[in-house]
This record gives sequence, structure tokens and C-alpha cells, in this order.
Amino acid sequence: MTKKIMIIDDEPDIRTYLMAILEDNGFSVCTVLDNTEVKKGVLSEKPDLIILDIMMPQRSGISIYKELRTCSALNAIPVALISGMMPEKDFIEKEFPALVDDKSVSPPDGYIEKPVQVEKLVALVTQLVEERG
Amino acid sequence: MPEKIKLMDWIREHLFNVVPMSIAVIDRDFNLVYANKPFEEKFGKWKGKKCFSVYKSSTTMCLNCKGAEAFQDGKPRVNEEIGFDKSGKLTKYIKHTMPVVDSDGSIPFLVEMATDITEASIIKKEYQLLFDQVPCSILVIDRNFRIVRTNKKIRETFGDLTGKYCYSSLKGFNDKCLECTARDTFSDGEMHTGNHVWRTKDGEDIHSHVSTVPLFKEDGTFDMVMEMAVDITHTLELEDELKIAYSFMETMIATAIDGIIAIDIEGDIIIFNKAARDIFNIHDKRKMTKIELEVLLPEGFMAQVLLGPGHVYLPEAYVKTIDDDKKPVRLSGNKIEFGDGKSGMAFSIQDLRELKRLESEKLEAERMAAVGQTVAGLAHGVKNLITGLEGGMYMMNSGMKKGDVDRIQKGLEMLDRNILRVSTFVKEFLNFSKGRKIKVGECEPGKIARDVVELYASQAGKFSVELICETDDNIMPALMDGEGIHECLTNLVGNAIDACRMSDNQGGNHVWVKTHEKDDVIVYEVVDDGCGMDYEVKKKVFTNFFTTKGLGGTGIGLLTTKKIVQEHGGKIELQSEEGKGTTFRIRLPRNRLPKPESIDI
Repeated sequence: MTKKIMIIDDEPDIRTYLMAILEDNGFSVCTVLDNTEVKKGVLSEKPDLIILDIMMPQRSGISIYKELRTCSALNAIPVALISGMMPEKDFIEKEFPALVDDKSVSPPDGYIEKPVQVEKLVALVTQLVEERG
Repeated sequence: MPEKIKLMDWIREHLFNVVPMSIAVIDRDFNLVYANKPFEEKFGKWKGKKCFSVYKSSTTMCLNCKGAEAFQDGKPRVNEEIGFDKSGKLTKYIKHTMPVVDSDGSIPFLVEMATDITEASIIKKEYQLLFDQVPCSILVIDRNFRIVRTNKKIRETFGDLTGKYCYSSLKGFNDKCLECTARDTFSDGEMHTGNHVWRTKDGEDIHSHVSTVPLFKEDGTFDMVMEMAVDITHTLELEDELKIAYSFMETMIATAIDGIIAIDIEGDIIIFNKAARDIFNIHDKRKMTKIELEVLLPEGFMAQVLLGPGHVYLPEAYVKTIDDDKKPVRLSGNKIEFGDGKSGMAFSIQDLRELKRLESEKLEAERMAAVGQTVAGLAHGVKNLITGLEGGMYMMNSGMKKGDVDRIQKGLEMLDRNILRVSTFVKEFLNFSKGRKIKVGECEPGKIARDVVELYASQAGKFSVELICETDDNIMPALMDGEGIHECLTNLVGNAIDACRMSDNQGGNHVWVKTHEKDDVIVYEVVDDGCGMDYEVKKKVFTNFFTTKGLGGTGIGLLTTKKIVQEHGGKIELQSEEGKGTTFRIRLPRNRLPKPESIDI
């Protein structure tokens, strides 16, 4: 069965790029264009993994992430955050706790650093989806 | 014979009855046999009465009757008596008793002459009271330095000293003092003063200020000297305290970090401390005059202190040094009034060179930190661009492999867009990083706001955003970098219009640009009722290259705005609520605005 990956990123070029990579590697993809309607989109699409950009206008990825993690209907879906801000280690150890500022919110299942390394991205996505079973 | 009778009458009428004393003759049975007019006027009717009944209103003879003694030994005597006058009032008198001795040696009569001393003894009593009660110590000594009399104060403080030597009883010496004001007075008859330490009966030392005066007798000679002493222990203590306070103040002034200068009513410089000398490069021995100082201070400053309300404060000014150099200082001048329209001046001067150096070091450190942040932010910005370019490349390559023309087309568009982004980014980044000198000039704060609103009017209209300008026309011109502030407002208004475009709210299409001044702070506000920001975005707003506009922004605008506001000594604040709108507020306190000389950034 084809696994479905949801990409939430406000930049169309990045969105197109990520969707193309994942489609080429046998995943099906979807997105939510309206950031304020993420919950609704996820509930209807039921993705196996969400790739979420941190910096977006209007509503930041962090606030979306918090919502996904605190909603009981959604918190089982793995989430990978994507950002150009810093390497993975710095992000998980320093930036993420500072941004979220709430210890009850668990760290993301994965982190993707821009610029994107195609093999690494595919490996991470495959791993996260398989872990979920 | 008639001659003799005539003489006797004359003696009686013109002498006996006129002398200012009471004269009476008594016989051996103490009957009054004759008395003169003054006697009768004083003591009343006497004829046929006993002396004691008239003098003393007594029915019996006096004890120790002096008259009886005179009848006995025939010697005259003088005695002080107390009796009652005709109206029963107590009266004091001195009585001379003279026996009249007959040719056979018997004494048939006594003549008594009484002089009233009631008045004199009252005066004596008053003087005694004065002597005792004056708030200073008084003692009378004779030529042997023996104390003859003391007043109450002396007795209370030193005990009974009568008969003792002054040097031993007051100082505990065995011999006369080396310096002795009493001896000086004894030798020249003049008044002398001096200070002595006397020991009280309780063993306490007191400091006395002593004056000695001769007690002249009628004939102009004197045998006694009166010493009057005032306790000045407390005064000396106060003097000591004053000395300590003075030396404390002197030390403070001498070691003060700020320069302190004081000018007295005569216009003489009485204080010019080390710090002040250092500021003006004046060596320690050179004496300064008011006129010389006036030239070194800012022009007209001294006159302003003297003629104005009395306090003039210049937070930043320049003084000249004696060798014609210039130094930045903080200057405060105070007029000190002494009454009668006379006044002196005091100046406090703080050398601002160190402060200026620290300030420029801080600016430099901030600039270096900004460079560091910029490099980090640059890397982030570049990563985003690379991702976009890589995306384009991936689409092209994979499209070609698959023979998917549509994908190749998409890839080309992505490459185009991102190459354009690279060039925009590089331009803005260069603009930011090269910095610029702020150009300070007199600006009308309201006009800058109106210009920006005018500039954006058409763009706002295009997106159906209503742009409203609310400026207070009473704001006085200020020294600012007009172009810089213009750029700040341009950035904020541009953001606000974008926020309205991204907003879903009903009626979220207003941008207000407001200017007013309160408490010497010029305030600009750019308010929108657009999309607002959530907590995470608010936290990141002023960091380098943070953008929420995706392809539309580089994240440099707010960073530049913050930098310009800081260069003006101001602050930028942000209030925002998700979905409700955002307010950016720039606060520029007038006293922190940049000075006309350009500053390197």
C-alpha cells in the first residue's frame, strides 16, 4: 500500500520540489494550502507522515506543530520538521526547546535541514513510515 | 546772751532739723528726751516714749542693747539695726551712738544718729543676686591669688573655694600659673582675657574663657581682681566637630572624581579641586581667576548661572582647556545666595571622554555582533536560495529523464525565480552590510510620516487597503536622519500592507501611520488590523533574515529598521495579536537624538 506524505510549506517551489522527490520514490503526496485549516486537512487526508516547515507567514510551523501534538486524534502521526536555520543537532538540542517553550510537547520524529539531500530525505521518510508499520 | 540764744535757734532750725539723718537724745532710763525733725518724720511721735518702743515698736528693752553698753563704757559705737518706721514698715539703718560725758565723768545722755540704709541694702541684695545668678562663673581674688568671694555658679561647679588659692583650687597646681590674666590685671589695672582648663569638683575638665577686671575703689586704687569665666567646652566641641566636618568635606572635594569649583561673593575662586585641574589641564600651583575660568567654560554659561533661576545643567557641553584644547563634559552650575543680593557660584564638571570612549566601544562591539549575526543569517538565507535552485535543478533533471516536458518547464521557472531571488537578496544584503553614515539634520517629524503615506498611497489602493495618516502638527522640528526614519516607516508600512493582504478578517484592511510627542519623546506608530502574528513569530521578528513572506521577503527590512532606530537612541516595540492586527511603535526621546556631527556606523 502506498504511504501518503503531507507537505506543509508556504513556499510553492519547495513544496513542488519535495513533492516531486517523494512521488519519484513511490510515495503519494498531499498538502494543505491554508495554514489555519491544517487540522481539518490532516483529518480528511489521514497522512502517514507530515513534513512541516517552521517559518511561515500568518501562522508559524511551531504553532501548527503544537496543535498536531496536543490533539489526541492527530498525535500518533509522525512529524518531521524542515528548516534552513541550523543543523539537526543544534535544532533538536537548543532551538526546538527555545521555540516551543513547553516541556509537555515532545520533540519531532525527524528533522530535515535545507538544502535538502535527496537520499537522506528519502531514507528518513522511509524509516519513519516503516516504524509506524 | 541773746546772741547765744539766737545761735542755738539757728543751729536747731537750720542744722539740727535739716541734716538728712535722724538724731535723738536718750537718758539713762532710755527715755527719748530730744529728737530732730527727720527723726520724727521717720519714726513718728517720740515725746515721753522709750527708745525701744519708738525704734523697734517693742515693749521691752533690746537684747545686747548698744546704748546700755555705751552708758557702761562711755565709748561711741556704730551698729547696723533693723526697726520699724512710723507706718510699721521694716527699715534698716546705721546708728552712731555717742555718749555725752559730763564734767564729772558720768554719762547722763546718749546722742544717737541713725542713717536709713533700707534702699542701699535692697540694691546690695540685687547686686548679690546678679552676682550669683549670672550664667558665668565669677570669683574675686586678692593680690595673693587667694579667693575672697565666689558666686553661686562657682560654688556649684567647684565647691566652696573661699580662702583657697585660685591656681591650686581650680587647676590643682602648687604654684601660680605661667600665664595668668589676673596677674596681668594686677600689674597694669587693665582687663585681660585668656583661656584656661579648670577641673570641677567632679573631676571633669572644662574649658573656660576668662576675663579679669580690677575692682577699683573710690580712690582709684585696687586690691582685688574679679575673674569672670564662661564655659566654652561645648563651643570647643562644636568647633572640633566643625573642623572634622570641614576636613571631611575638603578631602571629599580633593578626591572627588568630578571637577568642583567654587567662587565666593568677592569673585575669588576658593575651591578648584584636582579633578577640575585635570579637566582644564591646569597645574597645581597656578592660581585661577574668575575671568580666566569664564573663558574656559561654554560661552555665557557663568552669566546664565548668575542671572538665571540659579541652576544650569548641560548634559553635554564642551569646555576649553588652558592649553586651548576641547573636552566633552557634563556641566552643572549653581548660584549660592548669601542674602543682600550677594551670591557665589559652584560648578560641578564631569569629564565625558571616558564615557564617550566606552560609548564608541559599545557601538563598535554592537557592530561586530551584528556582523556575526549577519554572517549566520546570511548562511540561512543562502540555504533557502540553494534549496530553491536545487529544486529547480531536480525538476529539470528528473523531467528530462522521464521526458516530462511539463516538469522541465516547472524546473526552468523555479530556476528563474530563485536566480532573481538571489540577486534581490544580494542587493539588499550588500545595502545592509555596507552601512551608511547617518546624516543628521533638522527634520519635521510629521512631514516624514506624511511623505511615507503619500509614497504608499497608490500601492495601498491597489490592494484595497485604506492608508490613514494621523500626525500631530505641533511637534517641533528635531535633529534626525530624515532619510533613515523615512526608511523605517517605509519598511513598517510595507509590512502592514502585506499583513492586511494576508488577513482573512473582515475589514482587515486599514493601516494607520500616527505621530505625536509626549514628555519630549517623539512617537511613531504604524498600526494595522491585518493578520497579526502568533507568539513564535513575534519572538523572531527582529532577528536577522527572519521572514514569513516566503519568496516575497528577505527578512532584512525590520532588522534595518531596528538598527536605524537604535542609532537615533530610540526603541522599537511590537504589539500583535494573531488575527487582530499589529502595532509597531518607534519611540525617540529628544535628549538621546544624535548630534549634528556624523557618526560612523
